[in-house]
Amino acid sequence: MRAVIVEDLALLREGIVALLREHDVDVVAQAEDAEGLLRIVAGHKPDLAVVDVRLPPTFTDEGLRAAIEARRRQPGLGVLILSQYVEPIYTAELLESGEGGVGYLLKERVGEVRSFMDAVERVASGGTALDREVVSELVRVRSGHNGDALAALTPREREVLELMAEGRTNAAIARHLVVTPGAVEKHVTNIFGKLDLSATNDDHRRVLAVLTYLRSA
Amino acid sequence: MRFRGQRRGAPMDTRPAPPNTSTPPQAAVPPDTLDALDPDAAPAPEPPHQPFDALPLQVALSGLAGLAATIVWGVAGAGYYWPMWVWLAVCIPIAVHVLIRFSLSRPGSTGHALAIHAAASGLLALLLFLLWAMTDSPTFWPVWPLIVLGFSLAVHALVAYADRLPGRRREAQLAQRVGELTRTRQGALDVQAAELRRIERDLHDGAQARLVALSLLLGRTEERLGDRPEEAELVRRARGEASAAIGELRDLARGIAPPVLADRGLAAAVEALGRRAATPVTVDASELRRRPLPVVETAAYFVVAESLTNVAKHAGGATAHVHLFEEDERLVIEIADEGPGGADRDGGGLTGLRHRVEALDGALTVSSTAGAGTTIRAELPCEQ
Repeated sequence: MRAVIVEDLALLREGIVALLREHDVDVVAQAEDAEGLLRIVAGHKPDLAVVDVRLPPTFTDEGLRAAIEARRRQPGLGVLILSQYVEPIYTAELLESGEGGVGYLLKERVGEVRSFMDAVERVASGGTALDREVVSELVRVRSGHNGDALAALTPREREVLELMAEGRTNAAIARHLVVTPGAVEKHVTNIFGKLDLSATNDDHRRVLAVLTYLRSA
Repeated sequence: MRFRGQRRGAPMDTRPAPPNTSTPPQAAVPPDTLDALDPDAAPAPEPPHQPFDALPLQVALSGLAGLAATIVWGVAGAGYYWPMWVWLAVCIPIAVHVLIRFSLSRPGSTGHALAIHAAASGLLALLLFLLWAMTDSPTFWPVWPLIVLGFSLAVHALVAYADRLPGRRREAQLAQRVGELTRTRQGALDVQAAELRRIERDLHDGAQARLVALSLLLGRTEERLGDRPEEAELVRRARGEASAAIGELRDLARGIAPPVLADRGLAAAVEALGRRAATPVTVDASELRRRPLPVVETAAYFVVAESLTNVAKHAGGATAHVHLFEEDERLVIEIADEGPGGADRDGGGLTGLRHRVEALDGALTVSSTAGAGTTIRAELPCEQ
């Protein structure tokens, strides 16, 4: 996997580069601003761009805007946004920005090495990785609507739903909950039945179906 | 008087005078400015245009007329000095001329208007006095017009400087003080807003970034301790503490100013609030044409956030309507819900909000009648 890193704070950039290299990710280039992101993506054609949402010179959401632009120029580019805060409209803009894997994680998740590397792998291979804070926000908003079908889910099913919305595969969910893949499969079938979603065996499509449901609030 | 008139040029000439008549204008311009490259700019300095001044000529001609009359009088054998009527006749237009120049020199000020009035009255009084002296009248008849002139001047002076009278002085001082306080408070708020944003930036680039870097190092360490579960557990807990600290800093920064507000402006931030609210919310911010000052924007944001929290808590999932618009240079924020109404005007964090709004010279009103929902309306100054 070939990746580029865009982060303005050298301390963090170097840490992330070291972490990725330890896990056999080929970090081909680094940059520290939005313009640099577009330049190195054009120059190196990576599979994945790990981008800080807040970059110079304006320190607002330049990283996000530049990443979406980079995706437009290179369809299929995986974009993993690291952010200091959860902002649902940014997640929405990212999810709607076209083909390829997308991820939106809080910055401190880089310390949870295994699940961070999982997320990196998923996004690079076209999957989704949403921070659990983003997902719980989506679930909270959705279940605030009266008579929502989420109320019909058992606590365990709800847990599985949230893990699915984060973008995890069935196997990863089974590992996380320390249950068999068969048990997860059963929960997933129940969830799709209760939410009236059409079932599919493709992990990635299931994630999108769940996210579409949650975001349709 | 005459000197002033000459220096200022003829009063009817409205063209701006050259700033410094002794230096050619081009001499002050550096050669590399655009002006110097302008092909229309004349290469040689033109002599500065001096408008024609009629006053000295008028004085000279009047003097000549008076002298001529005096000479004729002397040649004719003196006697009754009749040329004094000639002098009077030529001096009146000069006086009028000077008075007009003076009135046009600094229009618009109260003091100046009074000075013109005084000068005109004085001239008229002098004229009356001269007429009296020249006609050798037994009674001093100008006394009546002089009294009227003096009285009207006194009334004018009283009206013009009423605010300097002892009773009015306090009022004027208070008005000045209010102006001063408004200005300095605005300055203080601007400084405070800038300072808060700086702190927020420092948190992001400083402490938060270091904690993330620390968390990353701890994560990598934890990974290498796979064969030593006890140490790995300690490191995992240390990382948990770092994450908690990052979370607390995040809440702190969000409390100062939510990032989406700085990034996307008030309308987008309020729409985001509406989408995240636990109850259905409609947002209409289509009439907002410009971005208010950051400090006003932040206050408006927190008014909406707190009000929506109240709706969720007290209005039982009722729909809320948020409307942002400008009215008479004020930013108006209205949050109306379809709930049961009857809200406590000071409860639910409304006092804190009111203080926040009032500190910006705004106003917050709550109208809530049982059965008709609750409307919170905040008005904030909007001028840049």
